[in-house]
Amino acid sequence: MNMTTFSTIFSNPVFLNFIKGPMVWLSFIIFGLGLIVQTFRLLKLTQIKEARRVAPEEDLSPQTDLSGWERFTRYLAFRRVSVLGSNACLVLISVIFHVCLVVTPIFVMGHNVMLDTSFGINLISFPEQISDILTKFVIAGGLIFLMRRLFLRRVRMISTVNDFILLFVAVAPFLTGFLAYHHIFNYQVMIVLHILCGELMLILIPFSKFFHMVFFFISRFMIVSEHSMGTPKRSWQF
Amino acid sequence: MGTTTEINTDTIQSILKQNKKQIKLGLAMCAHCSLCAESCFLFVSHDNDPEYMPSYKFINSIGKLYKKKGKVSRQVLEDMRDLVFEKCALCTRCYCPFGIDIPALITLGRNVCRSQGLFREYDREW
Repeated sequence: MNMTTFSTIFSNPVFLNFIKGPMVWLSFIIFGLGLIVQTFRLLKLTQIKEARRVAPEEDLSPQTDLSGWERFTRYLAFRRVSVLGSNACLVLISVIFHVCLVVTPIFVMGHNVMLDTSFGINLISFPEQISDILTKFVIAGGLIFLMRRLFLRRVRMISTVNDFILLFVAVAPFLTGFLAYHHIFNYQVMIVLHILCGELMLILIPFSKFFHMVFFFISRFMIVSEHSMGTPKRSWQF
Repeated sequence: MGTTTEINTDTIQSILKQNKKQIKLGLAMCAHCSLCAESCFLFVSHDNDPEYMPSYKFINSIGKLYKKKGKVSRQVLEDMRDLVFEKCALCTRCYCPFGIDIPALITLGRNVCRSQGLFREYDREW
């Protein structure tokens, strides 16, 4: 099938109305309910448990008599052995990728114009140039992750087909959105693919490895561990 | 070292069944990012040999057993023994960005090996 065949299918009004209307609602409902159900299922694997005391309380309290310089050198020493020290570049790329991945769709002008015309909801939007740059970050990040998966032995050894599919699903809405915005290839085909990819991603989030968007925060802020943040009270109930 | 040549699949399956939730969650949440690699001192001291990467060790021991529902050959289990006993010291220093308890999963791999008479071979010549 060439682009024109796609174009005729994608300009079919029944098909278009379906993916622009009920399908959007359906994917958001699956996404929302899925997140709630899966989060509940995850929390059921945990329980509130009093932390095991390994040292007298006074030994556990952070040292407050350290000078600023001592704190700084201690931080540097910690940083050297942490993931920030060993993989600083990858951590930076990963953070940029994830922030752009979440922020861009919420603040992109096109989405907010549709919200405004449909429901009168007026959200803040980024200027189009900024959204364009953030989209490029996501695509570039995806490309770097793909290259790592293909060419870095340690990543390739644990990679499965699933990883490649999910990476593609995550980047596809941004790639198609980018191509549609710049009118590269056929706009009609690209925008329909963009809608479909976005819906597919939303539906898959609660039921795939994408669920790490919830798991990450639960394991960091709710489960007691060496690397937890805040004052978590729960632990795994395995 | 193992005196029996046969594998007792029932024992393996009961260990897998008892710890199903933990194994399933670990396998489902590992994003295969390889960020845990450098946190393993054995990985670093073996010229960054990927077989020492914590995620590789748990995926290819207890993860593999879980996926194959405990039906593995003696040879596969012996390779697993190398992975969980010789290539991991259970120092619990591995760091997972998602907080997956990798040492606990490797311990389960050791449990399975022990149940089949496979232990660390202190007298093996490398």
